[in-house]
Amino acid sequence: MVFNIRRPALSRRHLLRGLGGAAIGLPLLDAMRSPGRARAAGTDCPKRLIIMYTPNGTIADSFWPSAVNSESDFELSPILAPLEAYKQDLLILGGLDYLSATAPVETSPGDAHQRGTGHCLTATALLPGNFTGDGGLSAGWAGGISVDQEVAKAVGLDTPFRSLELGVAVQGASVRSRIAYRAAGQPLPPENSPYTAYARLFGDSLGDPNEIAKRTARRHAVLDVVADDYSALRGQLGGEDRDKLDNHLAGINAIRQRLDSSVVSFDGSCQPLELGAPIDVNHVDNMPLVGGLQMDLITAAFACDLTRVATLMWTNSTAGHVLSFVDPEIKEGHHTIAHKGDEDTAKVAQNVKINAWYASQMAGLIERLENTPEGEGSVFDNTMIVWVNEQNRGNNHDRRDVPYVIAGSAGGALNTGRYLDFGGDVGHNRLLVSILNAMGVDADTFGDPQFGTGPLSGLS
Amino acid sequence: MSKLDLRALTLTIAALECVACANETKLEDELGECSATIEPGPSPLRRLTQVEYNNTIFQLLGDSSAPADAFPPDEEAGGFDNQANVLVVSPLLAESYLEAAEELADAHAPTFVSEIPTCAAGDESNCNVDVVEFIREFGKRAFRRPLSETELSTFEALFLEGTGLGEGPYSAEAGIGMVMQAMLQSPHFLYRIEFGMPAPIDGDVVELSSWEVASRLSYLLWNTMPDDALFEAAERDELRDPEQIEFQARRMLETPRAREAVKNFHRQWLGLDDIEPRILANGKDEEIYPEYYDGLPTLWRLETEAFIDYAVFEENADLATLFAAPYTMMNAELAAFYGVSGPSGVEFERVELDPTRYAGFVTQPGLLALNAKPDRSSPIHRGKWVRQYLLCQDPPPPPDNVPEPPEVDESQTTREQFSQHSADPVCAGCHQLMDPIGFGFEHFDGLGRYRETEWGLAIDASGELTATDVDGEFNGAVELADKLASSEQVKSCVVSQWFRFGYGRFEEQRDECSITELEAAFAAADYDIKELIVALTLTDAFRYRHAMEGEN
Repeated sequence: MVFNIRRPALSRRHLLRGLGGAAIGLPLLDAMRSPGRARAAGTDCPKRLIIMYTPNGTIADSFWPSAVNSESDFELSPILAPLEAYKQDLLILGGLDYLSATAPVETSPGDAHQRGTGHCLTATALLPGNFTGDGGLSAGWAGGISVDQEVAKAVGLDTPFRSLELGVAVQGASVRSRIAYRAAGQPLPPENSPYTAYARLFGDSLGDPNEIAKRTARRHAVLDVVADDYSALRGQLGGEDRDKLDNHLAGINAIRQRLDSSVVSFDGSCQPLELGAPIDVNHVDNMPLVGGLQMDLITAAFACDLTRVATLMWTNSTAGHVLSFVDPEIKEGHHTIAHKGDEDTAKVAQNVKINAWYASQMAGLIERLENTPEGEGSVFDNTMIVWVNEQNRGNNHDRRDVPYVIAGSAGGALNTGRYLDFGGDVGHNRLLVSILNAMGVDADTFGDPQFGTGPLSGLS
Repeated sequence: MSKLDLRALTLTIAALECVACANETKLEDELGECSATIEPGPSPLRRLTQVEYNNTIFQLLGDSSAPADAFPPDEEAGGFDNQANVLVVSPLLAESYLEAAEELADAHAPTFVSEIPTCAAGDESNCNVDVVEFIREFGKRAFRRPLSETELSTFEALFLEGTGLGEGPYSAEAGIGMVMQAMLQSPHFLYRIEFGMPAPIDGDVVELSSWEVASRLSYLLWNTMPDDALFEAAERDELRDPEQIEFQARRMLETPRAREAVKNFHRQWLGLDDIEPRILANGKDEEIYPEYYDGLPTLWRLETEAFIDYAVFEENADLATLFAAPYTMMNAELAAFYGVSGPSGVEFERVELDPTRYAGFVTQPGLLALNAKPDRSSPIHRGKWVRQYLLCQDPPPPPDNVPEPPEVDESQTTREQFSQHSADPVCAGCHQLMDPIGFGFEHFDGLGRYRETEWGLAIDASGELTATDVDGEFNGAVELADKLASSEQVKSCVVSQWFRFGYGRFEEQRDECSITELEAAFAAADYDIKELIVALTLTDAFRYRHAMEGEN
C-alpha cells in the first residue's frame, strides 16, 4: 500500500525561482490539500531550521555593519552586502565567543580548527582521541549532541527524516569535517551528492506504486529480522561495542519507521526536481552548481515536509579548496588565504570576496524558501537560517566575536532587521539556547553550562 | 641514546621510549616478563571499512562493483581508515547498507536460484527444503562462521515469507534475495564479532576461536574475508595453535591479495593517497615547471606503491632497503619524466638509479613533490614529514599568524631564502626541528627531480638530525636515509604504524608486551617487513581478548 505523506497546506501555484544555471525545472504547482499535519506548538505552519557552516573565519572589518546609529539603523558591510534585499529579515549578532572552545587544552582536547568546528553546534569539549591536529594536539569527535539534532528531536518526530545533512565538497572524515552529532561521538556525515540525496529523499516516491508497495513489504520483513539481530547481539556486548550497535540500530529503526510514510504525493509546492545532467560533485569549480542543487533539495524537502531541520556544510575546516570561481585571481586554497596576515591586503580582499560569495549563497537560499508558498505566506516565514563559522579570524584562529547571521524569524519568534552586539565574553552556547527556544524547544542550557546559561536577551 | 627532550613527542613515542632505546639485555628481560602473563589489550568491535566491504563482496559473490564506493567516507584517525573507535554507523550509512544489500541481492539471487534445481523449476515444496542448504552455506561464508540453529530457522522463515513477496504466487528469487539482504545487513557480516572461547585462561583473558582467528588473519593480511583454506582450518579448530597461525600467515603472504593489503598500509602510513588530490588541487607553477602535467601525480603514487610492493615481495626487503634501495620502479612515461631510458611500456619495471643521488622511497618524486610548494621545494614541509611520518614525532604547531613566504628569487637558492626567513628568533626554535632535515632534500626540486644547481647556484644539501637517536650532521638525502634506516626510533615508528593498521587501534601502555614481541621479532628477522607482518599474527593482542562483558 502507498501512504500519502501529510503536508502543510499550500495556497497557490508557484514556480521556484533563482535556481541558477543547473537546468532545474520545478513544475508548476497546483492547489492544495487540506492541512493535515500536526503543527509546531502554537503556530499554523511548522517551524524549520537550517544551519549553514563555512570555514576559516571571516574578515571582521568587512563583516560587521558600519554607520551604526541604532540596532536597526546601520549599513551592511561588504561581506553581507549580497543580503541587502533581506536586510529586514536578518539578525546580525556580535560579541559572542566560543568560550567552550577556548578552554585550556588540558580540559578541552583538540587544535583550533578541530575545536572551532566540533564546538560550533555543540558547545561541549571534544572527546579525547586520535584525530591528528596541529602541533601534537589531537581529539576525538564532539562531546555532545549538536543543536540541530536537539531541535530535530523535538520537531522532527512527525517527518520521515528527522533531519537532513548536506555538504558541498566536504572533504575528510574527521572532527574537522562534521558539525551535526546525534550524541557524543556520534557524528552525522553530510551527503555531498545532490543526486544521492535526492534518491534518498524522493526515491521511494518515484516509480510504480505497486512495485514500491511490494518493496516496502519486503523491506519490512528483512529489517524486522535485521533489527532483531542487532537487539539480540547488543546485550551480549560490552559498553562501547554495545553503543556502536545501538547507534546502528537507531539508523535501522529510522528506516523502518518511515517505510510507510516516506512516499510523497506530489502536489502544491511539493514537486519532484529535475537535477539536470550529473556533474562531478567533488570538483571545486562545480561548487556553485552543487551548492545550488543542495539548496533546491532542502527547499523541496521542506515543501514536501520530509524534514524540518537541515544542515548545509560548505566545505570543511581548514578547507584547501581553491575557490577560483569566486574570482579568477584566487589561486591559493581558502585556508592558506585565510592565514595571510592583515597587511597582505590582496589576500585579505580575496577572503572578503569568498565570504561575500557565501553570503550570496545564503541570499539564494532565502530566495528559494521565500518563493515556496505556504499558508498565507512562504516557507521562509516559518524558517530560521543560521550561518555559523568555525572561528572569527583565519590568521590567528581567534574564536571570539564569532561572525553570526540569522535570517528569518522562525514564525515570528525572532525580531529581525537588527544588529546586536553582546559585548564579548558571552558564550555561544547561549545563542544555541536561543535557537532552541525560537524553534519552540523549552531549554535553559545547552552544551557546557559553565560557559553560560539561558538564552540571549533581546532576540525576540 | 640521549633522553628525548622534544617538546611535543607523541604519546606513542613517549610511551615506548624505553622500547625505542632498549638494548638487547633489556629486551630479553622484558620478553621474559611478558611470557609470564597474557595481556591482549582492548579489542574494540571493528566494522568493515569500505575497502574491506568491497573486497568481501568480491570474494563472497564474485562481484566487483565496489558498492562501498558510494558509502559515506570512512572516518579516519591517525592516518588510517580502519580505526575501530571512530568508525561509526550513521543513519546515512545504515541506508547505504540497505541499498547495497538490495542491489547485490537483485544481481545475484537469480544465479543462486538457478543453482538449486528444484527452486529453478519452481517446485515449491522441494525448493523450500533444498534452500536450507543454501542458507547454511551462504550464511557460513557471510558470517564467517557456521550459523546457529536459531539463525538457520530465522532465515528459513524469512525465505518462506519472501517467496510470497515477489513476482507471482511463489518466488524463490524473492525469498533468496531477502535472505541475502538480511545477511548483508547483519552485524555478523558488517562487524567482526568476537566472543572468544567460553573458558578464560588467565583472569578474564580468553583465546579467540579458530573462526575468529581466521577472520583476524584474513582482514589483517588480505583486507577481506577468509578463503576456503582458512575456513577449513577453522573447521578443524587449528587456529588457536600459533604454529598453525604462522603457517597460514606465511601461506597468505605469498598471494596477490596480501600485496594489495601491504600496499594499502603504505598508502595510508606514508600519505601516498594525498599525492594526487593535494597536488592536483594546487597544481605546479607553469612558468617554473613547464614539464608538469596533471598525469604526473598518479604516476608518482604508482611508482612508490610499485617500489614498495616489488621490494617487499620480490626482494624480501628489510626496512633499510625501503629507505636506501638504489633502484625504483617506472614505466615509459615516468622514465621520460626522470630522464632515464629503459622501460618501454605502461608496466612498471625495475630501473637502477645512481646510488649517490637516490635512496628508496625517501627520494621518490611523489612524496617530494607533495611536500613542496607549487613554485619551489619546501624544506620545512619535507623536514616536518620526516619527523611526523618516519620518526612518529609531532613538531610544535606553526604560529597562528604565519608571515608571507618570500617570493621566488632567482638570485638566491631556496635554502638561502628560507634560512633568512626562519632566522627570526620567534621562528627559529621550531624551524630548527624541521628545516635542517628538509635542507637535506635540496637536490630535489618542487617536482621531486634531482638537480645539481638551482638558478645556476650551487646546492647546499647539508643537514642535521636533532632530538632523535641518530643525531648528527649529514650531507644530502642519501646520507639522511641511511641514518633514518639505522634509527631505533624509526623502527619503533614502523612497528607502531603496523600495530595501528593491523589491530585497528592505537597502542596503549598495557600493550607493552605485544609491542616488545613485535620489536624483538622484527629485529630477529633483520627488519624484514614480511616477518614483521607474520609477527603481528602471533602477539597476545592478536590471539586473545578480554572476555566480553555483556548485559545479559
